[in-house]
Amino acid sequence: MNCQRVQDNFIDYQDGSLPADESAQLRAHLANCPACQREWAALQEMTRKLDSLPAAEPSPRLRENFYAMLETHQREADAPSPFALARGRIDRFFAALLPGQPALQFAFALALLIGGLFAGQHYLAKPAVIADDAAKAELAALKAQVNSMSELVTYSLLQQQSTSDRLQTVLAKMDLKSPDRKVLTDLVGALAFDPSINVRLTAVEALAQHSDDSLVRAGVLSALPRERAPLVQVAMIELLTDARDRAAEPVFEKLSRDEAVDLNVRDAARRALAVLRLPAASPSATLKPAAKPLLT
Amino acid sequence: MTLANVTQFRVPSRPASASLPVAVEAASDHELMIAVRAGEIRRLGDLFERYHKPLYGFFVRLTNQPSVGEDLVQIVFYRILKYRHTYRDEGKFSAWIYHLARKVAADHFRKHASTPTPTDPVDLHGQPDAGPQPSEQAAAAEDVVLLRSALARLPLEHREVLVLSRLQHLEHKEIAKLLDCSVGAVKVRAHRALKELREVYFKIRKEKAA
Repeated sequence: MNCQRVQDNFIDYQDGSLPADESAQLRAHLANCPACQREWAALQEMTRKLDSLPAAEPSPRLRENFYAMLETHQREADAPSPFALARGRIDRFFAALLPGQPALQFAFALALLIGGLFAGQHYLAKPAVIADDAAKAELAALKAQVNSMSELVTYSLLQQQSTSDRLQTVLAKMDLKSPDRKVLTDLVGALAFDPSINVRLTAVEALAQHSDDSLVRAGVLSALPRERAPLVQVAMIELLTDARDRAAEPVFEKLSRDEAVDLNVRDAARRALAVLRLPAASPSATLKPAAKPLLT
Repeated sequence: MTLANVTQFRVPSRPASASLPVAVEAASDHELMIAVRAGEIRRLGDLFERYHKPLYGFFVRLTNQPSVGEDLVQIVFYRILKYRHTYRDEGKFSAWIYHLARKVAADHFRKHASTPTPTDPVDLHGQPDAGPQPSEQAAAAEDVVLLRSALARLPLEHREVLVLSRLQHLEHKEIAKLLDCSVGAVKVRAHRALKELREVYFKIRKEKAA
């Protein structure tokens, strides 16, 4: 064992952590090596000096400060959050309300279920049982409402198509020789709801061929007060006059007096009234010439 | 010098001392800290009683400023409270507290980098010395002052390893973990530090004698 190795082992030897055989070798070397003896003695001396260094004593202030800080932290940790407080209160409320024993809890749950079933049967069954005439009528009215709603939806869907598409649809229906009521209803709907003047005008033309149908006349009549375009209004007035529908008289009357309405429309309404009040001698002969100029 | 003389000098590796954390079971340190973590903050008082003196000694030796030592001990315990949730179940409390202490010391040195280890003479002499001072012990008292000055002049890493091993009585294994290096490296460093301390010590003694 050379001096470097020996001195490297000094710390372990000092600790007593050097294995026994190496310790023996170290001691053997130390006995014969003055240099290592000096080194060892110096190390021992310094270690002893260090170990005898008196421990530094802190002042009482340190302890005071520490316990003051500790108290603050303990109080912070103890202070329950308002949320936890509310939660505890709610828990206690339910604990007091509900039975504690499992058997009782089960019975309580069962009672609640049976009570619920009874209540449901008692109150919810009633509307299904009632089926008198008044209710039936009401139901029919409701159905009608729902139907008209669905029509409205159809028209609003129709509106999502382009104007030319809708025009095509109306024109296609125009050619039908004997249209069913569905087609006529569609045309009346187009007249009443379509946003395009062209489509509405075409619809009036298409309907004109079927003005003998009371459904068509009623539809046009109901659409007339809502109509705002003079061109369409005039066409509708013409159609109703051609059909000699006397039911249109009050509407014409109103139109002819309404200052807000276009002058041409008022004029047409006045003439139509005159025609309607004529005796129905020869409708087609007298009407045609009178109606023609209206459109121009 | 005979072999008998040499080996008689052997210093016990762990001299008994009242201020040692060794006197307390580590497991109970751990239990206390677990309780503190769970919200029983006051249990930290016991840990304070066990550790504040060694910690104070650590800081005083490391910084050479007794006045700063108390503040740093307070900071360590403050951080224990603040970071108590990070204390791990498998942790060892003494390792953790020295880990925190080293960080606190590092923060202190960084903050006061412009004024490194002033070795204030007031600080050095203001230490209460152990026991009365009959004429025989006067020399020993002077020796202590000398040694403190020498320790203060060591570079921080050497001073730290000496303080941890000889004054805080930490095992080399624990120090290695703390310093994040091998046990062998700690021993080499400790040996070198002791040698250097001796050189500085004798240099100062020569200066004083001159």
